[in-house]
Amino acid sequence: MKKIFIFCFACYVGIANAVLEVTILKQSEDAFPIVIAPFEVVGNANQGKEIAKIMSDNFNRSGRFSASRGLRVLKTVDDINFKAWQANNTEAIVFGRVEQVSKTIFNVWVYLYDTYSRKRLYADKFAVHNSGIRRISHFLSDRIYDALLGEKGSFDTRLAYVTVVNLKNGKREYRLEISDSDAQNPQAILKSNDPILSPAWSPDQRKIAYVSFRNSRSEVFIQYPFERRKTRKLPYFDGIASSPSWHPSGESILLTLSKSGNKDIYSYDLNTEKITRITKDSGIDTEASYSSDGKRIVFTSNRSGQVQVYIKDLTTGKISRATFEGKYNAKAVFSPDGKQLAMVHRVGTDYRIALLDIKTRDLTVITSNKLDESPYFSPNGGMIIFATSKDDHGVLSVVSIIGGQTFELASKIGEVREPNWSHYLK
Amino acid sequence: MLVRSLLIATSLSLLSSCSATTDDIIEKADNLFKQVTGQPDVIEVEDRTTSNVSDNSTSSNSTEENIIVADNSAYTSEGSESQSNSSDNSTSNSSSSTASSESLQSDSTVTKVEVKKAVIIEKTVLDKLKDSGLQFTLYFSYDGFDIDDESTKDIIEHANFMRDNPGVKLRLEGHADERGTREYNLALGENRALSVKEVLGLYDLSPRIDVVSYGEEKPISTKHDESAWKKNRRVEFIYQ
Repeated sequence: MKKIFIFCFACYVGIANAVLEVTILKQSEDAFPIVIAPFEVVGNANQGKEIAKIMSDNFNRSGRFSASRGLRVLKTVDDINFKAWQANNTEAIVFGRVEQVSKTIFNVWVYLYDTYSRKRLYADKFAVHNSGIRRISHFLSDRIYDALLGEKGSFDTRLAYVTVVNLKNGKREYRLEISDSDAQNPQAILKSNDPILSPAWSPDQRKIAYVSFRNSRSEVFIQYPFERRKTRKLPYFDGIASSPSWHPSGESILLTLSKSGNKDIYSYDLNTEKITRITKDSGIDTEASYSSDGKRIVFTSNRSGQVQVYIKDLTTGKISRATFEGKYNAKAVFSPDGKQLAMVHRVGTDYRIALLDIKTRDLTVITSNKLDESPYFSPNGGMIIFATSKDDHGVLSVVSIIGGQTFELASKIGEVREPNWSHYLK
Repeated sequence: MLVRSLLIATSLSLLSSCSATTDDIIEKADNLFKQVTGQPDVIEVEDRTTSNVSDNSTSSNSTEENIIVADNSAYTSEGSESQSNSSDNSTSNSSSSTASSESLQSDSTVTKVEVKKAVIIEKTVLDKLKDSGLQFTLYFSYDGFDIDDESTKDIIEHANFMRDNPGVKLRLEGHADERGTREYNLALGENRALSVKEVLGLYDLSPRIDVVSYGEEKPISTKHDESAWKKNRRVEFIYQ
């Protein structure tokens, strides 16, 4: 028993050091005001108090809501003073109850009411293990988001990113870390003195592909963060192997390989280990990723003499240039609905994140920094996470597409880079 | 590409244009090779050192073999074959060479001295290479992987050195500055190292060259201005 306590304490210390600091830099202009009342706690269920806080933090980060924490516990709908909330311009109210059932099991009730129609928009009850409090808070946030906006949230998801710390001995320590979507609950799944690049969650959230230089060259690995299973190394051909990106089925991976020096995009079947060439050009082709239906890939190429973004239609085999504005467009990813691309776009001497409407070719620059890279959509498409440099220091930034809400994820002890956002957890 | 057109504009551009044929490149490189080195086929080793060994050895290759020994001692990772042979043939320590122990038929102490001398000479050769102002790092333009004239001269001197020292292997590390995306820069860094390898390949040195790219991951300077970026867009020569 003592041992377990010490172990948990050690874990806690490690985690406390590594949690990224979340700072909201810019409030959304179109945020929807809601109130989340503190949950009623029955029995020894103090963990339950966290739920309202996690949920309101989630809503505030999303850019779609401005959530305030109610002061008073609401037990039933009769406790709601609708007129007062209407006068306060609050559009919806969330309240709930956490009740201890056994030592580790809790029942959670949650209710959502529209302030104006006074109608119940959502209600549910769950039994939750003590360790699942954070998870249920994210899950409920997604449900409430859906009930209010008619679209999915991105809360019950995970992030992956790379942190870099300069050690006293002059070396650097690279860590591949995973965390919940709110940057809490971080875990380093790989530590190395050699660079780590391009982490990518598998569609089933069980695996992470990444590039490591541990063998003094770029190679692609697949790691299983939740299983006791050996890390798998993907083949390379005497040159670079990099830029892994999963097929939506999870059965194959896109890679950049430089067979005989020529960098092209290949698909590697994880079951048959068969390699299929996707592009063939004497220039650099890299940074490929699939659309969510798996029918198209987008990639970076300098085939025109400039670095631009191209789309290959896998049904017809046709490759067409997607970007025409600016001299440098790279590392594009499809939005989940497949209509837009997020990419790195050079403006003068600055590298910023831009959104491109694929059909109309309208390009919108959505950031104003100097050195942005690695944009990636949240699974609902509502936000984009990217890496940037702030005061010579690598941080992650998340911007909401509606409202332009921006928050930052920073490490006190080092740099953060190479973000990747998982799909929905299963 | 602005960079490319600038390079073409310089009169002696060697590999700047993708449209140049291999023959053109070889001819130009050969000319430059002669300009830089005078007599490319002469292996420059100081007389005093070689005479001790070559007096006793039979073949005209002895000079070269002696340098191999030196290489083996100076760069311990290579040439294990000749070392294991020598330990089979004699009880001499592992640093003595096949060539020396067989042809000299001398005791191991003498051989050791010979080898030591050779090592010193070898170091002198490397020092000389460095003192000559030869660059071990070549620099590139933004998003460029073309080799300019200055760099070509340096590469040819490296080619000379490698031909003089057949035991030496070379690792070319390509790097990029922080601008642009990491994965693209990884590809760009490899292109830079491959450009250098291409020139060295004209001297049949390709099998002895290993190319890697670190992209923007290992900058020389971590500042965020052109003076830093300039230093970071590079290929490093690492002899092994």
